[in-house]
Amino acid sequence: MKRIHINEQYCIGCRLCEIYCQVKHSKSKKIIKAFKEEASDMMSRVLVEEIGSNSFAIQCRHCIDAPCADACISGAMTRNDNTGVVNCDEEKCVGCWSCIMVCPYGVIKRDVKARRAASKCDLCIDEEVPVCVANCPNEALKFCEDKNE
Amino acid sequence: MALKLDQSEFEITRNDEKCIHCEVCVRQCSNDSHQFDADESAVSSKSENCVGCHRCESLCPTGALKISKKEPEFKENYNWSAAHLKNIYKQSDSGGVILTGMGSDKPHTVYWDHLLFNAAQVTNPSIDPLREPMEIKTFIGRKPDKIEMEKKNGDFVLKTKIAPQLELSTPILFSAMSYGSISLNACKSLAVAASSFGTFYNTGEGGLHRDLYQYAGNTIVQVASGRFGVDREYLAKAAAVEIKIGQGAKPGIGGHLPGEKVTDDISSTRMIPEGTDAISPAPHHDIYSIEDLAQLIFALKEATDYAKPVGVKVSAVHNIAPIASGIVRAGADYIAIDGFRGGTGAAPQVIRDNVGIPIELALTAVDQRLREEGIRHRASIIVAGSVRSSSDVIKAIALGADAVYIATAALVSLGCHLCQKCYTGRCNWGIATQDPYLTKRLNPEIGLKRLTGLLRAWSLEIKEMLGGAGINAIESLRGNREHLRGVNLSDRELKILGIKHAGESW
Amino acid sequence: MSENVINPKEIKSGYLIIGNSTAGLAAAASIRKIDGQGSITILTNESHSNYSKPLITYYLAGMLGLDKVFFKDSSFYRKNNIRLVCNANVYDVDPAKHEVTADTGKNEPSVFSYYKLLIANGGRPAIPSIKVTELSGKMSELSELMTASKDIKSVKKPGIKKINGVFTLTTLDDAISVKKYIADNKISSASILGGGLIGLKAAEAFLELGIKINIIEFSPRILSASFDESASDIITGKIQDSGSNVLTNSTIENIFVDDSLNISGYQLRSGKKVPCTLLVIAVGVSPATSMLGRGKDILKIDSGITVNEYMQTSEPDIYAAGDIVNSFDKLSLKSKNIAIWPLAVKQGSIAGTNMAGGRQKYGGGFFMNSVEILGVPVISIGLSSAQDNEAENIKTYKNYNSQKNIYRKIVVKDNKVVGAILAGSIERAGIYAGLISNEVDITDIKDNIAKEDFGIIQLPAGYRKHLVVGDGIEV
Repeated sequence: MKRIHINEQYCIGCRLCEIYCQVKHSKSKKIIKAFKEEASDMMSRVLVEEIGSNSFAIQCRHCIDAPCADACISGAMTRNDNTGVVNCDEEKCVGCWSCIMVCPYGVIKRDVKARRAASKCDLCIDEEVPVCVANCPNEALKFCEDKNE
Repeated sequence: MALKLDQSEFEITRNDEKCIHCEVCVRQCSNDSHQFDADESAVSSKSENCVGCHRCESLCPTGALKISKKEPEFKENYNWSAAHLKNIYKQSDSGGVILTGMGSDKPHTVYWDHLLFNAAQVTNPSIDPLREPMEIKTFIGRKPDKIEMEKKNGDFVLKTKIAPQLELSTPILFSAMSYGSISLNACKSLAVAASSFGTFYNTGEGGLHRDLYQYAGNTIVQVASGRFGVDREYLAKAAAVEIKIGQGAKPGIGGHLPGEKVTDDISSTRMIPEGTDAISPAPHHDIYSIEDLAQLIFALKEATDYAKPVGVKVSAVHNIAPIASGIVRAGADYIAIDGFRGGTGAAPQVIRDNVGIPIELALTAVDQRLREEGIRHRASIIVAGSVRSSSDVIKAIALGADAVYIATAALVSLGCHLCQKCYTGRCNWGIATQDPYLTKRLNPEIGLKRLTGLLRAWSLEIKEMLGGAGINAIESLRGNREHLRGVNLSDRELKILGIKHAGESW
Repeated sequence: MSENVINPKEIKSGYLIIGNSTAGLAAAASIRKIDGQGSITILTNESHSNYSKPLITYYLAGMLGLDKVFFKDSSFYRKNNIRLVCNANVYDVDPAKHEVTADTGKNEPSVFSYYKLLIANGGRPAIPSIKVTELSGKMSELSELMTASKDIKSVKKPGIKKINGVFTLTTLDDAISVKKYIADNKISSASILGGGLIGLKAAEAFLELGIKINIIEFSPRILSASFDESASDIITGKIQDSGSNVLTNSTIENIFVDDSLNISGYQLRSGKKVPCTLLVIAVGVSPATSMLGRGKDILKIDSGITVNEYMQTSEPDIYAAGDIVNSFDKLSLKSKNIAIWPLAVKQGSIAGTNMAGGRQKYGGGFFMNSVEILGVPVISIGLSSAQDNEAENIKTYKNYNSQKNIYRKIVVKDNKVVGAILAGSIERAGIYAGLISNEVDITDIKDNIAKEDFGIIQLPAGYRKHLVVGDGIEV
C-alpha cells in the first residue's frame, strides 16, 4: 500500500504542503477563493515542524495498528483494510479527543471551527497522489510503496 | 552627508487580488524582500533588496508576484550609462573592489550567434538520427603519432600503446565548480549526473568531498594554485588531473573564498583551517616558466603511474595560440581553454568584463596553430566560456574542439536565474551558498534528473544537426570549418575564424 | 435441557464472552481473524445490542441520538457469526466444569458451556454509605434504595423501594433515565457527587444542556488522581465563571427525600443544606466480580481479576480483559486496575488472539484521560499529578500562558517522561504518550519539553527517524 514518505533532508520549510492541504479540504477547492473566504475555517492536516534550518512536514502515518482507532469511543476512527487508510468519519466523531491523546506523531488536530471533530490526513483518497506530495517543490514528500509491508 | 540613492534594479509587483498572504515568498527570499505584518495579517514587499532571482515568483502558489526590470531614472546618456554611474557611487561608498558573479553580461559580439551550420542537400544525403546509428562518443587524451598493427594468432592487433583516455558518451563535460563556491548538493547533482550519463565533472579548486568518492571514476580533479585538497588519495581516486592556470572569468588573478564561508566541512575538504580565507594565488608559485609547467605535469603523471590524462586549464588571452602550443609540448594530454564569458562565483567586475578574449576566437587560433605545428593530435581541446546550447557545442566542434565544458548552463538547469549575486552566498536556489537553510533547496535527486535531462536533450539535438549535415560521427565534424559560415562578421573576423561568409561556397 | 447448552460438537471450540462492550467485542473480532469456525457467544446483562459506554454522556448532552451510540456496525454480529444473548445476568462461573450460569429471564437458570471463556463485563459503580432521611424522619442507607447496588435477584423481588432523582451514570439505561427525568421534571440544576472521570463527563453533559451544576468532591481538587492543582484550578475556574459550583474537601452526609422517595436536597459534611432535585453519584467504579459466584473464590482476584501477560487468569481456559482486570501498569511496574477504553480494546484483542491459539503478549499500559469542560480541553497522561521529588529523581517542567489560559506540565523521572497534563491547548498531546510508552531518554531536550511548540523535531534523531519514515508503529 502506498504511503507518504518524508525526507527531512530536502524539506525547505516553504509550507506549500499546508496550503494545498487546506485548499483540498476547503469548500470551494480553489486556492484564491478558499483563502479569501474560508481562511478562518480551514485547517491543514499536514503540519510542518521547523527548528533552525531543519524542517519536515508530517501527517497521519496510517498505521497498521493504529492507536487512534483503538482509542476512538464512537467508532468514527477506523482503518480500511483494503485501502490501508485510517479515516475519521467526521459525522460520527463526538470530539472527545482520545485520538489526539494517543497519537505518538501528534498529527491529529482538534477542529472546533466548522464542526467539532478530530481532523487528520485522509491520504487524499480521491486523488492519484496526495496534494501535499504533488505540490512539494523539492520532492521532500514521496508517495510510494512501503518497503516493510 | 549621506547620499541615499535607490540602487534597486528590480521591481516586485504583488497582485492583491491573487495574493493569499501564505508567506511562502517571505520564507523563500534570503534578501528579506518580503515581510509579513502580523497586525495586518498581510504580506508586503520591498523592492530595494530584490536581486531578480525569481525564487518567490516561481514558488508563489497563485502567481501573484511579478519581478520586472526597473529602468534607471538617469537622464539618457549613451556614454555615461547607468551602470557606470552606479559603479562609481558604490566605489565611493565602499572604497572596495566591486565584485560580481557568473559570466560577463556586456554586449560584446557573441560569435556563436554569427555562425551558421550546414545541412546536407542533394549532393550528399542527410541521415536520420532516429534510424541510423549516430556516434557522438568522444575520447579525451593524447592520440598516438601513428598506429602500428601486428599479427598475433592470425589476427591483426594494435601494437602502439595508446595514452590514457577519458571516454565520454557525449562531447559535453561539467566544468570546474568548487565545493565552496557552490553547495555540496550542487556538487552531488553534477557528480551523479556525470556518472549516470557517462561523462565527467570537475572538482574545481575545492578538493574532493568524501561523499563524492563513490563517483571518483567520473571525476576530474583540479590542482590549482592553492593546491586545496590535493593529497595522495585525491590523485589516486580521480579519472583525470587538471592543472588550473587560469579561468576565463578572471584571467590573471586567483580565486578567493571568504573565511565566513569556510565551514568545518569545507575546511576538511580543502584541508585548510576553519574560518580562514581560502586564497588561491594568481600564479602557481612553483610555475614561473613553461619548463616548470612541464615539470608539474610529469610529476603528476609519475604520481598517478601514467594511468590518467593530465590536462591544463587556461583562460583565453591574447597570445593563447603560442601558450597552447607550449602547453601541449610540455606534455599535457588535453588543454582546456576558458573564454572571456566564462562564469565564476566571485570576481572583480572590471576583470570579468574587460579581460580575456572570446572562446570562439581563442579556439580557432589554438586549433589552427597546433595543426600548423603538426601537434594537434598530442592533446585534446576542451573549450568553455558560455556554451549555451547544443548549437554552440556543434559550432565549437566544427571550429576544432574535441569537447566542451559547461558550467553556467548546468547551473541554469539546476535553477539558476543569473542574478549575478553568487558572491553574497545567499543564493535562493541553494546553488551558490553554504547556508544549510538554503542548500536544502537543491535536492540532488531532482538535480540529477534535470542535468541528465539537459545532457540528453543536447545530445539528441547534436545528433539531429549532425544527421542533418549528413554526418554520422562527431569525429567527422571535428575542425571541419567547411560546415560553418559566418554572418555579419568582418573580413578580419572571418579570416581569424577560418570560415567563409554565408553565401560563399566552393 | 436449556437450549443454551452448546451441543457436544461445539464444546471443543466454543468461545464464551461475558460482556458486550469494547473489550469483549475486540476479543470476538480477534478470535474470528484466527478461528473462522468456532462458535462465539456473547452474554450481556443489558438489553441493548452494543454501545459505547463513554458515549452515554454525549447522548445525555443531546450531542447524538440513540442511533449513534453504537460503535460497531449493526452487522458486526452477523458478519462475524456471533450469537449475542441480551438480558443474561451471569451469577456463577464454574472453572472446573467449564460452565457459566445466568438468569436469562426464564424459569430455570441457563447454563452455558465453554471451551474458552473471556470475562469482560467491566465495572460497577460504587454506592457510598450515605443516610437517606424521609420527611417522616425514617432513615435508610442509600445502597438499599439504589438498583445499581443490587444484584439481579433482589432487583426482581417485588416491593423493592427505589429512590427517585438519584442516579449512577455508567450505562445507557442510566443515561436514558436521566435524560427522561430532566425532561419530565424540567431540571435546571443538578448536583454531582464525585469530581472524578465520570463526574466530570456528567458535568460536561449537564453544562452542554445548560444545566447549572454543583460538583462535590472529597479531595482538595477535582480529578485529583490525574490533574494537578494548576489544571484543576483552570477547570474549576471555568465552571465557577459560568455560574456553577465546585466544592472540594466536601462530601454528602445526608440525603433528604419526600414520602415518595423523591430527592429534595442534601446536607454536606460542613452542615450546609442544599436543595436538589437531581443527584448523580459518581464516586468510583470497581470491578464487577460479584457475578463470578463460585468463581470468585477460585480465580485469583485482587479487587480486579489478576491476569498474566497473555490476559489469562489463574484458570488456563479463562481469560479476562478490560475494566474488570488488574493489568500491568508500565509506570508503577505493578498490576493495577486501569479502567480506560484504549487499554480495554488492546487487552480484549490480545485475549481473543490467545484464546484462539495465538501467543500475543500484552506490553502493559498506563492511565490517560481526555475531557473538555466549557470549551477547555484537558488531557492527562500517566503520572500527571506528580510533583518535583528529588529523592525519586522526579522533575516537572511547567509552562503556563495566562493570556491564553494554556497550561502544560510534563513529569520526568530518571530522564524519561512519565506523565503529562495539557489544559487549554491539547495539540499533539499524544507525542508525550509515545515518549512514555517508548521510554525515550529526553536528557538532551528536557529544556524544551513543556514548550508550546515542542514537537517531534526536537526528539532524538534515531527515534524521529523511526517515526518519520512512514512505518506503522508497534504497540
